[in-house]
Amino acid sequence: MPISNGYMPGLIFYSNQIVMIEIEKLRKADIFSGTAILCLGSYSIYEAFQMPMKDSYAGVQNVWYVSPALFPLLIGSILAFLGILLIRTAIKEVGMAGLKSVLNYLSSPDFADFLKQPVTIRFYGIVLNLFVFVFILIPHIDFFLAAIIFLLVFFFMFYCGSDEGIVGLICQIIIGGVILSVFTASGLAEKIDTFAFFSADILVIFFTVWLIFHYYIVAKNGALIPKFKLSLLIGFIAPFTIGIIFKYFLLVPMPHEGLVVSLLDAIWYAEIWS
Amino acid sequence: MVFIDRIQTFFGIAGGMLTDPVSIAVLFGSVLLGILFGAMPGLTSTLGVALLTALTYSMDTPMAMICLLSIYVGGTYGGSYASILINIPGTAAAAATAMDGYPLAVKGEGGRAIGLTTTASAIGTIVSMLFVVSISPLISNFALEFTSFEFFLLAFFGILISGTLTAPDLVIKGWIAGFLGLFLACIGRDQLQFYPRFTFGISELESGIEVVPVLIGAFGIPQIIDVLRSRTTMPKAKKLQRIIPEIGTVLRNIPAIIRSALIGVGIGAVPGIGEDIAGWVSYGTAKNTSKHPETFGTGELKGVIASETANNACVGGAMIPLLNLGIPGSPPAAMLLGALMLHGVTPGPMMSFEHPTFILEVAAILLLASMAMWITGMILAKQVVKVLNIPTPLFMPIIGVLCIIGSYSLGLNIFNLYLMLPVGIICYFLTNMGYPIAPLVIGVILGPMADENLRRALMVSQGSFTPVFTRPVSLILFIIIVLTILSQFGWYKRMVEKVKTKIFNNPTVR
Repeated sequence: MPISNGYMPGLIFYSNQIVMIEIEKLRKADIFSGTAILCLGSYSIYEAFQMPMKDSYAGVQNVWYVSPALFPLLIGSILAFLGILLIRTAIKEVGMAGLKSVLNYLSSPDFADFLKQPVTIRFYGIVLNLFVFVFILIPHIDFFLAAIIFLLVFFFMFYCGSDEGIVGLICQIIIGGVILSVFTASGLAEKIDTFAFFSADILVIFFTVWLIFHYYIVAKNGALIPKFKLSLLIGFIAPFTIGIIFKYFLLVPMPHEGLVVSLLDAIWYAEIWS
Repeated sequence: MVFIDRIQTFFGIAGGMLTDPVSIAVLFGSVLLGILFGAMPGLTSTLGVALLTALTYSMDTPMAMICLLSIYVGGTYGGSYASILINIPGTAAAAATAMDGYPLAVKGEGGRAIGLTTTASAIGTIVSMLFVVSISPLISNFALEFTSFEFFLLAFFGILISGTLTAPDLVIKGWIAGFLGLFLACIGRDQLQFYPRFTFGISELESGIEVVPVLIGAFGIPQIIDVLRSRTTMPKAKKLQRIIPEIGTVLRNIPAIIRSALIGVGIGAVPGIGEDIAGWVSYGTAKNTSKHPETFGTGELKGVIASETANNACVGGAMIPLLNLGIPGSPPAAMLLGALMLHGVTPGPMMSFEHPTFILEVAAILLLASMAMWITGMILAKQVVKVLNIPTPLFMPIIGVLCIIGSYSLGLNIFNLYLMLPVGIICYFLTNMGYPIAPLVIGVILGPMADENLRRALMVSQGSFTPVFTRPVSLILFIIIVLTILSQFGWYKRMVEKVKTKIFNNPTVR
């Protein structure tokens, strides 16, 4: 069934500046995404059948057409049907041989090579930095410090660093993230904070200083000092500009307020201004 | 009399905004910010509106609308700078502009091209504003006749048509994206019986998923990952000369500008179809109707004018279904819908009763934004193009911080971030596998409307679907939906061909 969009191929991808993988690869990927959609649709149907259909809920006797299950059932059925349709279209185009070649590829050294390609490593670096920022730094560390380290890592990866350096940075982020997670999750941070304030923030400051020093040496060896200085400048100015606008002009409390926010509060609300 | 009253109200609103220094400052500031967003490859007007939504949270609704609509107008136009000067479209909307814009810049006519696109974009926005003012009351009155069945079918139609027209690969993927959006909208307690659906015992999910963080994730995160991952290096921008266009050239192109504006408004009014498609369709039409189509692609002014007029006219076009039916006409309009909901304004047929002057306010903002865009474009173009020299690895991470703090600040909830990031990464993979994101977003927005109205309609009809076939609007919508689906099947296309051949008795059709 040729459910294809005649005049559109490539257009959206070109416009989004995302390189479209070839049609054949796309069809092979469709088998997997179609399966995932089929599973999601089936799950939706299964969950819908657990919801009150005709029985009473919260003292209200249901009829099928007001049941909360109706819409998930409808959407789940359509998703499952479309998933099957997508798998069928994909298999029709690439055949079972195509599916087999994907499975062979997944267990071949080519796939292992793909996982080590610079473009894939860049992806790991980006996603890891985003995850560490959102799930580890933001809930536990002062927002300003978290944003500074987030920006510096990206700048060191993509502006004044090379693809070879990304692996090293990834390792450093993982080690730093694990240490911070253990430090906060074990309750050690809270215990230390009883006699010394903002211990987690100070730990991150040490890590940031170490990161800056390390990349200063890398940049010096690679004659990237101007880029390094610019990264440092923007890495500090941007979080303060954004953070101050949100915190003091839009009155948005930061996700976690620690050492820097306390200092800024002391300055912003100091009696000297009144 | 009603018409004269509306004109008086319109000019009263526009005059009020013009005499308020804060409004003017916000207007010009937002237009400039929009142009900068549009000009930087990797940033889009959708992302601009998404990020500014958080900043406008504390503003009153009219001021927030000035800010967001100005960003939208400026961002749509700003994409032309990068298209013309470095041959990389600043936004998807300006992709068609690069076809002739860059050859013009190579010839040393970049300034002239930017001057003309600025004027054409401004005229396009003004034409679309006229449509917003004139057509809205008609659609709004018509929509008042809608009952729950019509609203359910309308939401369904919006998702299907958006999926059909925005899918870069298989149409079926566009539909899947739309229904994934509807699935996401199911999460949380249902609106009629408050039964928790797909909440996994997570209390933050009980109130449903927040639309704006999902939209920021869906549009922002894939963009950040893609730009950084590809390590794109920008070519050096061509220099600008005289920008102010010759009046003679503008006047000679007025028919082309009007035609492109009408195309833009028409495409903008179709749910979910954005400025990029308007630009391409208008460019294609200009080429097909030209006496010298061979000049297109070599630096033809008409090509640049066609795409830029249409993409800006699309802004007003997208407002028509948004304001009157509550269905966004384009991805940035979807963001605007989220912003309006945050400000307690629910677009739809009741808008003319709940906020009688709102549509006129939007029209007045569009008019002022187009004027501000023209003035800013003419005065600051030479300065604005300097942003093209900023390396993308420096500004994309900052956009990342803005996405994150923006998602958090709407509701002051860290859980929004836990939602935004996975949604963004899933959307990145979906985009790479040929799934469009616009239908997904529209599905998330229209999901609650579709769910509620389906059940309300069935409640009224005691579980019967007969009203779908007895109510004229329902029946028309139902037929359109069925035809939209059938039109994708090979056997249906062959059958239509056969019928055509038989009717017109023309064997060549085969």
